[in-house]
Amino acid sequence: MKLLMLAFLAGLVALLVWASADLPDRADPDAPANQHLSPELTRMTESEVVIPNLVSAILADFRSYDTLGETFVIFTAGLAVLLVLQRSRRVPEEDGDE
Amino acid sequence: MNDRYDSVILHFIARVVMAPLIIVFGLYVLLHGELSPGGGFQAGAIVAAALLLVRLALGNRQAALRIPQGLLIWLACIGLGIYMFGGILPLILGANFLDYAPIPVEWYNQFAGEHRTPRAMGILIIEVGVFLGVVAVLVLIYDLIAGSSRQ
Repeated sequence: MKLLMLAFLAGLVALLVWASADLPDRADPDAPANQHLSPELTRMTESEVVIPNLVSAILADFRSYDTLGETFVIFTAGLAVLLVLQRSRRVPEEDGDE
Repeated sequence: MNDRYDSVILHFIARVVMAPLIIVFGLYVLLHGELSPGGGFQAGAIVAAALLLVRLALGNRQAALRIPQGLLIWLACIGLGIYMFGGILPLILGANFLDYAPIPVEWYNQFAGEHRTPRAMGILIIEVGVFLGVVAVLVLIYDLIAGSSRQ
């Protein structure tokens, strides 16, 4: 069984390595992933936002709704920890006082 | 949970040397978010690391007294409020929510001597909001888990 699993994993690794040979280079402008939105976002960053950092322009301007949601997630996480840990600590204290 | 280590060298290095340096670097990362790698989340994590370093070195009880828990909650809310302000201000000025194009920047450019576009100004506003929220929430979670900042 173990041998079968090893053979399966080796086959999977071989498949992935073989498939990765066909992947385009990183930051290749002709890659399919860089054909759709990337040229438009790069052009708008240069012409309208006028900042050198493309990542910040996308994160805080083009996708600012997304970043707003992330900030809400962090805030909610803090509130959840506050509610859970504060209540569990206060109840025994009140019992001790009475 | 985390008691005070009685070492003058550790206290001095953590409180006088390391923490201010880390905080200054965090503010640099925040304010240069449009120019270099960085931004609100990263700067918030760096500054929170400095505050947690002081907590680790000086002990929770002593360090946590400097920033009460209520203030941390207020800071998180204010950070989120600044972000919402950056979104609602263009709404008032006649654009879409979080569309920074109509934000007035002439007064800032005259004051600071920069050539910042309205969109770069909007990015700075919301990065500050994210920064405050991340710092406050990270320190708040640590204080709550360490059980040191009682009200």
